[in-house]
Amino acid sequence: MIQTLSALKVSLIKWFARFYPMAKRNLYHFHGGIFPQYHKELSLSHPLKRGIIPKILVLPLRQHLGIRTEAKVKVGDRVLKNQCIADTKKGLSAPIHAPTSGKVIAIEPRYKPHPSGLKKLSIVIETDGLDECIDNVLDVKGNIPNDPLALKEIVHRAGIVGMGGAGFPTFAKLPEKPGIVKNLLINGAECEPFITCDDMLMQTHADEIIKGAQIVGQALGIERILFGIEDNKQKAIQAVTKACENTHIEIRPVMTVYPMGGQTQLIQELLGMEVPSEHHAIDVGVLMMNVATLRAIYHAVIHGSPLISRFVTISGLGLEEPFNAEALLGTSFLELAEMAAPKQPINYPLIQGGPMMGMALHENNVPIIKTTNCVLANPPEPVEPVMPCIRCGECMDACPINLLPQQLYWHSRNHEFDRVEKLKVFDCIECGCCSFVCPSHIPLVQYYRHAKSAIKEIKHKEAIAKLAQKRHEFKLERLAREKAERDAKIKAKKAAVKQKTAQSASTKGSASAAAAAKAAAMKQKKQAASESGTETVLSARDNAIALAKKRAQAAKDSSKKTPQIPHKPTQVTRQKTIEADRQMDKNTKPSEAGTEVPKDKSSTTDDASKRRAAAIAAARQKAKKSAQKQEDLHEA
Amino acid sequence: MIAALIIFLAMSILFGFLLGYASVRLKVEGNPLAEQINQVLPQTQCGQCGFPGCKPYAEALAAGESEVNLCIPGGHKTMIEIAEITHREPKELAETPSETHQKLVAKIDESLCIGCVHCIKACPVDAIVGATKKMHTVIEQECTGCELCVPVCPVDCIEMIPEPIALHNWSWPEPSQQTRGDLNRYGSTENAHLLLKNAAGENK
Repeated sequence: MIQTLSALKVSLIKWFARFYPMAKRNLYHFHGGIFPQYHKELSLSHPLKRGIIPKILVLPLRQHLGIRTEAKVKVGDRVLKNQCIADTKKGLSAPIHAPTSGKVIAIEPRYKPHPSGLKKLSIVIETDGLDECIDNVLDVKGNIPNDPLALKEIVHRAGIVGMGGAGFPTFAKLPEKPGIVKNLLINGAECEPFITCDDMLMQTHADEIIKGAQIVGQALGIERILFGIEDNKQKAIQAVTKACENTHIEIRPVMTVYPMGGQTQLIQELLGMEVPSEHHAIDVGVLMMNVATLRAIYHAVIHGSPLISRFVTISGLGLEEPFNAEALLGTSFLELAEMAAPKQPINYPLIQGGPMMGMALHENNVPIIKTTNCVLANPPEPVEPVMPCIRCGECMDACPINLLPQQLYWHSRNHEFDRVEKLKVFDCIECGCCSFVCPSHIPLVQYYRHAKSAIKEIKHKEAIAKLAQKRHEFKLERLAREKAERDAKIKAKKAAVKQKTAQSASTKGSASAAAAAKAAAMKQKKQAASESGTETVLSARDNAIALAKKRAQAAKDSSKKTPQIPHKPTQVTRQKTIEADRQMDKNTKPSEAGTEVPKDKSSTTDDASKRRAAAIAAARQKAKKSAQKQEDLHEA
Repeated sequence: MIAALIIFLAMSILFGFLLGYASVRLKVEGNPLAEQINQVLPQTQCGQCGFPGCKPYAEALAAGESEVNLCIPGGHKTMIEIAEITHREPKELAETPSETHQKLVAKIDESLCIGCVHCIKACPVDAIVGATKKMHTVIEQECTGCELCVPVCPVDCIEMIPEPIALHNWSWPEPSQQTRGDLNRYGSTENAHLLLKNAAGENK
C-alpha cells in the first residue's frame, strides 16, 4: 500500500517536473542540487584505451593532501615498473612508484595540475617502452588481512589516496580498531557532467571493486556495505549486480542529480543521516570509498601492486573522439587530449576535472596525478557579463549543504571574513551549484575560495604573531636573568674586596686597633657563614654545638643556592654568552683585571681562586657595561 | 525620617564594605587595556614606533602617553583597531607602509658573513643562529621581518627578501572586474563551469 502510494508520488512529481524542473528536488533526501546536461555519452561511445606508454612521464612528489615525499632515486638511475621512487617517513603522505620502466632524466620543478600554476618538484622519467616490472613489490601473500593495522600498512605502502578527487591518503582514513565503522559506502555516483571514468571502471572491473570492498569490510569488521550508483548508469548497475551475486553487498541506485557524489550528500541519501558540521564521516560510523580506490586496494592486497595508473576520462566539446583511458600516472594532459582528435588546435586552457568543480589550467602540458579523473577540452565561449546580485535566492535553494550563499557573497565581497567564517564557509564543498543557478552570473564559488584562503592566512598570521610574542618575552626574560646573575657576581666581588682589605688591615696591625678587631670579627663571621666552618677554635662545648648546627644550616643553604645558578639557556644563547664573555675577557685583561690580579696573589687562603674568579667576573661586567654604553652612544 | 536615615546609612556602610572587599578580592593584575592593545599589534617587535617592542607601546597607549598611529607594520587596520580600543580619534599613519602585502624575511648572505654576532643581539625574537666567527643564518619561520638586523650588520650581508610563494602560502585570487571581464580565456582559475555555461546548460 505504502509502496504504491510512494510510487504514485514519484510519478506525479516526475510529471510535474516537465513544467517545473526543480520539482525533482523532492525525489531525494538532501537539500538543493541542480540538473545540468551531462554529455556522458560523448566518452562512453568510444572504447577504453589501455597500454599507452608516453615518452616522458612527470611525477610530482606530492600528489595527495599532506606532506611532500622525498625522491629515493637520483638522476640517471634506471627504474623498473612498480619500483618505489619517492617516500617520506613524516606523517601524512603516500609514496610514489614508477609507472613503467625507464631512466630518471631529471628531478626538477615542473608544472602540476593545480590552480596556482606553480612549478613543483617532480621526478621526470624517460620511458624505454620495455615495461619491465617488479612483481609483488609490496611483498604480500595474497590473503585478506583480518586486522585494520595490517590493511593500513599495505594501503600506505601502495601509495593509495582517495581517487574521487580529494586525494586524502587512504591509510589515514581507515580506523585503527575494528568495529568503529558500521557502514561502508561505495561511491559510484559520479555526478559531474562529462566524466565517465568510474562508470567505465564499474562496467569493466566490477568484480575487482567488489573484492576490494570485501577486503575493507573484512579487515575493519564492517557489517553493512552499500553501493550507491546514479540511475543514469544502467550498464554499470547491471555489471555490478552480476558481480555482487552471493555477497551481502546491497546495490542502491540513486537519483541522478548534481552533486549526488559528494560524501555528505551520498551519506544523507543512502543512510538518511547528516554528518555534523566540523565532523568527519568516520565520527558517525561511516566510511565512504570511491570505486577506483577500492580497485586499487584490491590490487595492492591481492597482487601486491602499487597505484601506478588510473582511469581518466578525456572528453569535451572540442574533441572528435573522446574516450576513457587507463593512463599511467605522469602522462601529459595535452598528449592525451591530442589522441582524441581535437576539432581545433588546443591553444585554449584544458580543464582538470569536470565542468562544475574543475579548474582551467595555466599550462596544458601537466601530468595526470593520482587525483585526476578528467581532462576536459572545451573551447572557450563568450560568457555573459557579471551583473549585480538581485537577491533572488536561487543560490540558497540550490545549495546542497543548506548554507546561505548570498550572505556569504556579501560578506566575502566586503572582506568581513569573521562573519563569513561564522556562516560556515568551511563547510562549503565548492560544488558550484550556487554560481550555476545565479541569474547574474556572479562567480560565487570564487568568492568563497578567496574567503577561505584569506581566513586561513589571517589565522596563520595570528599564530606567527603569537610565536613572535612568546619568543620576544623569552628573550626579555633571558636578558633579565643574565642581568640578575651579573649583579649577583658584582655583589660577591664587592664582598670579597671588603674582606681582603679587612684581612690586610688586621695582619699589618695598624693604629686603629678597634676597627681592625671589628673587621676581623666580621671576617670570622663571614667565613663561618660562607666557608661552612674552617674555624674550629672555639673552646666551649655549647659554642661548638651551636657552630655545628650553624654549619649544617650553611651547608644546606649553599647546596640550595648552587643549583639555582646554572640555568638552561638554548644552545644559541649559551654560545652567545660564552663568546661574549671571551671577548670581554680579552678587552679587560690589560686594563682592570691587571690591577686586580696581583692583589689576589697576596691572599693565601684556599678560597683565593674563588675570589679571583669573582673579581674577574666583576671586571668583565664592568667592561661589558661600558661597551654597551658606547654602543648605545654610537647608535644614538 | 530617622528610620529612613538609619536604613540608608546602614545600607551605605554595607555596600561600602562590599565594594571594598570586592576591590581587594577581585583585583585585576596589570592593565587589561594594555593587554587588549597588545593583542591587536602585529608583534614584529620592530621598534618603529619608538618603543622597544610591541608591549611597551601597548602600555604607553593604555596610559595615554602615545599616539595611535605609530605602528607601521600594522598599517591602517591596526591603527583603527587601537583607536577603537582606546576611544580616541583615528589618525593618518605617520609613515605609509610599504605597498607589498607579502611578508619579508631577512636573509644572510652566508659567504659574506664574518660572524660578528651583532645581528644576533639585535634580533628581538632570537631568530638568528650562529656564534662568534661562525656563519650566521636566519630561521625563516621565526623571522618577523622587523629589519632590526639590517643596519647593525657591518658588512651589509643581510637582505630583506619577500617570502617565495609556494603551495602552502598561495591563496585564491579575489574575483575582480578585470578577471571576470575577459572571461578566463587564459590563466584564470575561475570555476570551469563559468566557461561552460552553454556546454553544461540547464537540462529542461
